[in-house]
Amino acid sequence: MRALPELFDLRVKARSLAYLFTAGAGLGLVTLAFPHDEAVKDLQLVVLAGIAIGIAGVVYIEADRIREWQLHVALALGTLILTFANYYVGVNSLYPLLYTWTALYAFYFFPLAVALGQVAFIALSYAVLLVIQDPASPIVRWLLAVGTPVVAGLLISRLLEYMGLETGTAEQRERALRQSEARTRLVLDSAPDAFITTDRDGIITTWNVAAERMFGWRAVEAIGKPMRGIIIPPEFRDRHDERRRALIAQEGAVATQIFDMVLQRRDGSRFDGEATVSRVVIGDDVILSGFLRDLSERQRREEERDELLRAQAARAEAERVAEMMSGMGALVDAALARPRLDEMVADLVAGVQKVLGADATTIFLADEKEKWLRIGASSQGTRPEDVDPIPFGEGIAGRAARSREPLFAQRPDPADLRDPGLHELDIDSLLAVPFLAKGAVIGVLEVCALPPRRFTADDLGMLRLAGERVALAIAHARVYEREHEVAATLQRSLLPERLPDLPGLLVAAQYRPAAAESGVGGDWYDVIPIPGGGAGLVMGDVAGKGLPAASMVGRLRSALRAYALEGHDPAMVVQQLNRLVWTEAGESEMVTLLYVVVDPTEGVARWVNAGHPPPLLVGGNGRPKFLEGGTSVPLGVMPFPSYEEMSAALAPGSTLVLYTDGLVEVPGAHIDEGLSRLADQLPGAPEEPEALCNYLLRRLVPARGAPDDVALLTLRNVPLGDEFSFEFPNEPEALASMRALLRRWLRNGGGGEQEVAEITTACGEAATNAIEHAGPGDAKRFEVSGRMKGREVEICVRDFGAWRTPREGDQGRGLSLMRALMDTVDVTPTSAGTTVRLQRTLREAGGNGGPG
Amino acid sequence: MKEGLVGLEIEERGEVVVARLTGELDIAGASRTGERITEAVPTSAGGLVVDLMELDFIDSSGIAMLFALVRQLGSRRQKLSVAAPAGGPVWRVLEIVEFERAAPVHRDVEAAVAQISPY
Repeated sequence: MRALPELFDLRVKARSLAYLFTAGAGLGLVTLAFPHDEAVKDLQLVVLAGIAIGIAGVVYIEADRIREWQLHVALALGTLILTFANYYVGVNSLYPLLYTWTALYAFYFFPLAVALGQVAFIALSYAVLLVIQDPASPIVRWLLAVGTPVVAGLLISRLLEYMGLETGTAEQRERALRQSEARTRLVLDSAPDAFITTDRDGIITTWNVAAERMFGWRAVEAIGKPMRGIIIPPEFRDRHDERRRALIAQEGAVATQIFDMVLQRRDGSRFDGEATVSRVVIGDDVILSGFLRDLSERQRREEERDELLRAQAARAEAERVAEMMSGMGALVDAALARPRLDEMVADLVAGVQKVLGADATTIFLADEKEKWLRIGASSQGTRPEDVDPIPFGEGIAGRAARSREPLFAQRPDPADLRDPGLHELDIDSLLAVPFLAKGAVIGVLEVCALPPRRFTADDLGMLRLAGERVALAIAHARVYEREHEVAATLQRSLLPERLPDLPGLLVAAQYRPAAAESGVGGDWYDVIPIPGGGAGLVMGDVAGKGLPAASMVGRLRSALRAYALEGHDPAMVVQQLNRLVWTEAGESEMVTLLYVVVDPTEGVARWVNAGHPPPLLVGGNGRPKFLEGGTSVPLGVMPFPSYEEMSAALAPGSTLVLYTDGLVEVPGAHIDEGLSRLADQLPGAPEEPEALCNYLLRRLVPARGAPDDVALLTLRNVPLGDEFSFEFPNEPEALASMRALLRRWLRNGGGGEQEVAEITTACGEAATNAIEHAGPGDAKRFEVSGRMKGREVEICVRDFGAWRTPREGDQGRGLSLMRALMDTVDVTPTSAGTTVRLQRTLREAGGNGGPG
Repeated sequence: MKEGLVGLEIEERGEVVVARLTGELDIAGASRTGERITEAVPTSAGGLVVDLMELDFIDSSGIAMLFALVRQLGSRRQKLSVAAPAGGPVWRVLEIVEFERAAPVHRDVEAAVAQISPY
């Protein structure tokens, strides 16, 4: 009885309920078709039948979704409907018999407690009915109406219980068993392992699909044959029989053993197999069942799986490398944007650390010539100056640099770690990779892992890739730095280290690199002493920056000096430079140039302007004036442009200002605005050239630098008074300058042409002696000073060498010339040098007040 | 051609070589200019005229160069004469060192050339 209700699923219960209700309602309607008592209320009965059929329909349709308790309620409703039907039919009807149906249903489909509950509900509702109808013999009727279904239900359910176990569900069980066998068969056939059963004599009774596949025998061929003859190689058959007998003889209901055995296929080929054999005793009978597995197949599958895993690992590795490469690429690109090597190396350390997932990273930079390393950058914050140079071969990094091979170290000795920032760390593993550029070691990359992270020798490949990228970046940076250094050096060499001393002239110059770019600009200036006391002033600007511009400046500078010293006119000098730029420079090369030749003796400045901003002339009165005339095209624009020489008076006390456009460029404003801004500075500006340069730069150039390079050159024609004193280098070329200065001074003092020439000649002789006296180790200069008192002229030429007694002949001729040309000549030799004092009284009516 | 501040031009008038000096002749250019003039005078030439008409300045180095030229040409039996503007600074120096005792000094180039090659 306990088991029965569970045999049915809800669907069956629900449908049965629907049939029950339909049948009951149908029966009730049929009884109405026959002649019956007048007291029966037909209409109400038809409605009740309809309600019952309606419930039946709902339950049937919802059979798949219905719940157990809903069926209980439905059945109770049936009881209620039946009770109402009894009421409407009247006291004499036989309808109460229908209670038996619901009671039977309850006993059949519901658990016993529920069934008894349903019966109690029947009893209650019928009792109520009888009380209302007040029949003649209520107790008897109630007992019959309720007792019948209870007894019938109990009897029937006992009967069912017995049939359920023994025969009642035999058909179902048969069907279930067949299904189970089919399922088992299906499961066995789809199993990857062969499944074979034999009887106690070893005759095959089961042979699944996998067994067919494994051995090549079909089931119909194998079943009924002895197993030993089919799949056991001949030499193992006796052993097989022994095992079988031993297994059968084992105690217990079930015994299982696992054997490794050699098995044979239909074609005679053999393989290693594993058999899991169970012995099952069924009554007196014994069945042996076994799962047989092809180990070679398994080995092959394992190999395949290993292969697959290896392929997956390789793919994962490739993806990791690809990701790292792109990461390295990105970080190298980023690092390359850094112009300075130290900044770039610091970037690389951070990037490598991230990409490789290292815990500490150091980049050492190598000096291949000196064979040592220094720290470039470290994730531990170690600075290059913290560590002495590390010779190749010392420490892990040094060994990697010397061997040029990557090194892998497990638990490295702290003494081998040359980055002191690593000493505090609990390093598990360390990789060091030297990086090479053009066959030379340029550095070592060292990465460390702390537990649980661990590098292995496999990571070397990865690091080598990283090293190549880093090498590329560093080599690039070094080239850049070298170019930068070369260009900077070149530029320094292109600007005069010190300006020449020009008698009667004062010059000063300043160069301010642009704020933004650290590259070398193409601005340059030069001051060339012109034989005869003049000076060539050069201010130029080569378009572009960097090494090409600097080298162009270098060529122009030396060419210009050569042309100028050959004594060419300024226009000719500039024309020749134009030829040089036009023929030798690239198409885009353009050079602006201003060349001014100052002749202090004549008090004249002559200039040629090739596309350059005009020079500024500041007169003795401090009033500024741009020398606008004679501007022609820049150099390199045309093959034969005409360059016109212009000239202006450069009176004593006046100043020339030459500059590049960086000084007058006002961002967003017209050049004229910048020019007037420059001119506006001059009233009140200092006269002395050095101070004037600083003054102008301070007021026109922002402290952080101008947008462009600025070159500034100032020259002042110093007025000569009654006294002067100049030093000249001990060079024959200085003589002309000295004579020019003297002529200017003497004319200024009112000397006539003849007198000026004679005094100049005498002084020249004294100066020639001074130059010739200077031996090795002596001072490289001689001094000329003059004093004019009224018409009395006194000139002293002083050298710092040893006096040599004039010999007769060529050398002695100088002294006799001096004596012939001057009123008095005193030669005072001392151990410190010789002073020649020359005196003469001016007598001619000279051009006093002429050009200074 | 310039050496320092001095310029030199060579001209041949028949068998006479004329060396014209311009600018200022001092120790910076004297010896090199002397060598150049010597090279310009072939042994076949009758003589040399040193034209100082356009020279603005001469000092003892220049005078020494002239004396050296006189000695060299004399050893080759060639004559030398000098032309300089009378009364100018150069003339004055030549006077002081009594250059006329070594070679004739004329007031113009034609006279100097005629002195050597009278035809």
